[in-house]
Amino acid sequence: MKHLTEAEMIEHYYSEDFYRAEAERHLQACKQCAQSYEELGKLLGCLRTPDIPIRNSEYGIQVWQSIQGALRPYEPKRKRSFFHWPQFAYVAACMLLLAGAFWGGRMWEHAHTKSLVADNPQQTKERVVLFVLDNHLDRSERLLVQLNHAGAEGENADLPLQAEAKQLLSDNQLYRQSAARANDPLLNAALDHLERVLLEVANSPNGLSSADIARIQQEMNTQGLLFQIRVLRTKVSEQKTNAQAVRKGANI
Amino acid sequence: MGNDDYALIRSVLAGEKDAYGLLVERHSQSVFRVAFRITENEADADEVVQETFLRGYRKLDGFDARSNFRTWIYRIAMNCALDVLNKQKAQTAAPIAEEYDSEQAAVQVVDHTAGPDRLLLSQEIEVRRQAAMEKLTPTERIAFVMRHMEDRSTEEIARALGVAPNSAKQAVFRAVQKLRQSLAPLWVKS
Repeated sequence: MKHLTEAEMIEHYYSEDFYRAEAERHLQACKQCAQSYEELGKLLGCLRTPDIPIRNSEYGIQVWQSIQGALRPYEPKRKRSFFHWPQFAYVAACMLLLAGAFWGGRMWEHAHTKSLVADNPQQTKERVVLFVLDNHLDRSERLLVQLNHAGAEGENADLPLQAEAKQLLSDNQLYRQSAARANDPLLNAALDHLERVLLEVANSPNGLSSADIARIQQEMNTQGLLFQIRVLRTKVSEQKTNAQAVRKGANI
Repeated sequence: MGNDDYALIRSVLAGEKDAYGLLVERHSQSVFRVAFRITENEADADEVVQETFLRGYRKLDGFDARSNFRTWIYRIAMNCALDVLNKQKAQTAAPIAEEYDSEQAAVQVVDHTAGPDRLLLSQEIEVRRQAAMEKLTPTERIAFVMRHMEDRSTEEIARALGVAPNSAKQAVFRAVQKLRQSLAPLWVKS
């Protein structure tokens, strides 16, 4: 019989588990899990915030009075007459000129050059993705190396680390979503793990202490993550090299 | 309510600053409630409310008409509360809570009998709860408060914190694990 993990019990407590009926059946059948779950329930049951202080009906007005002095009114957007004729004529002339140049260029290209192999747009896109992903993984690897050594370097080593983590965090969210769409579970899992580490580093208070760094290293297994990122980088670099080789081969 | 809010926002963006006052009046109570749940301090919660509406005003021209103003301002309040917690954590040189000593706690609790001791036990639990909450990182604390006290879904927490749903879920797990480590022995003995 497979017992429920602590995470599964917490999910069950908050009714967020996918296999709710299955977990319920297990809790009825397994005394050990039922006891742990009961203890968890008792513990979470006693965790309530103190009573919220009552704010009177004037509270909103008081808040508004305290902040309104610091606010500058927005300037209403002016409506522009787009078809003001001299400007319109100038824009139209420029567009006509551009269109003519474009058309002429296309005609000249057709007449004088004949590409042996047209670049497949999908391959081009793939090369670009591999390039930026490789760059992202490289920066992440350097950050993790710094993080793993930061504890020994003293108190102020974290400032550039946090700024870098903040930059990487937004990029990482995009790559993770992209990996999820591309159905790449290995990359998705690694980027998800990386995102949690970046989040902790980025959101830690200024002056991240050695103790905080040690906690992040321990709780988030940054050594393991570093290994994962290195493996992924090797894989991405190989794919990049293959893509370049294919392109060169196609051009010969 | 949502449409009314949007009409007020358009008025503010058209230069009628006072229209924002109506939005503040309408939403300040609920913002205070969530700010207090996170900070557990009246003065800090008031500060969060003011800062939230200040930031809200400055970002109002980026408000998406399809969004709900309440949800949007709520998210700003989360970020303000996060900043307050971060600032406090940075200013605290020494750990706020003493390390938990399960042996000592066991003695304290076992010595108690019925009656007034029940009250003492509740106070003891409250002191431990506060200390345990202080040990959470700001992200974990907000995720836990939203999940446990505000009954928000993982998706809502993730949106408010600007992270993936799985990261939000992990933050709740870590918070519960830490609270459990700090409080479980006391609870079992009681």
